[in-house]
Amino acid sequence: MVQRDTLTENIPPHFADRTIPFNEPKPVSAARRIAAVVAAWLIPGAGHLTLGRYGRALMFFVTIVGAFIVGLRLHGHLYTPTVAEPGSLFHYDLITVLWSFAQVGSGLCYVASFVMGIGMTPIQQAAASPTFEYGNTFMFLAGLLNYLVVHDAFDIAAGRKR
Amino acid sequence: MHVLMMSLYAAMAAVVLATVDPKSDTTRERVLHGLKIFGSFLGIGLLLSWVLLPVPW
Repeated sequence: MVQRDTLTENIPPHFADRTIPFNEPKPVSAARRIAAVVAAWLIPGAGHLTLGRYGRALMFFVTIVGAFIVGLRLHGHLYTPTVAEPGSLFHYDLITVLWSFAQVGSGLCYVASFVMGIGMTPIQQAAASPTFEYGNTFMFLAGLLNYLVVHDAFDIAAGRKR
Repeated sequence: MHVLMMSLYAAMAAVVLATVDPKSDTTRERVLHGLKIFGSFLGIGLLLSWVLLPVPW
């Protein structure tokens, strides 16, 4: 038996195009949208938490913070942009700018590590560890995945996806 | 060690990429998509390592 929606079945045709079905995602206010994006960057998963997506929030937090911690435990290096050698095309060493950008994506994980000096051992000393490259790769992964998560939080807040 | 790290990397990437996938609506679709990503990471990684094995540098 087909159930009929008694609230919407008698809508006049000129209003029918302006109604939103119950199961369609709806955008939230601009303030909540901005809060979700900032929270998502600062703490992986926090943006989804503010939007009521608790399962996803927990999954993102565990995965991204886990990747960052694994990276640090494998002697990954926390990158900051370094000044290039004189005569270079750019003022900053471009590869360290890109690596820093990738790691900054993990939000407070990066900031807290920077403030506490974790992963800030001199690069020559850190590179002596056999797991140095593994560690860096996991830390880049954490930051870059969190950029995707921030984008996902924005899409949900804007009503573009569930 | 290398395969373990590669598997962990693939698992972490697959979890997030499958969850943010806009084309998957249900949990089942997301899980299947995640398994495909995980398998692709491992498969391509192993294939590349096999292809590059004879390269001397």
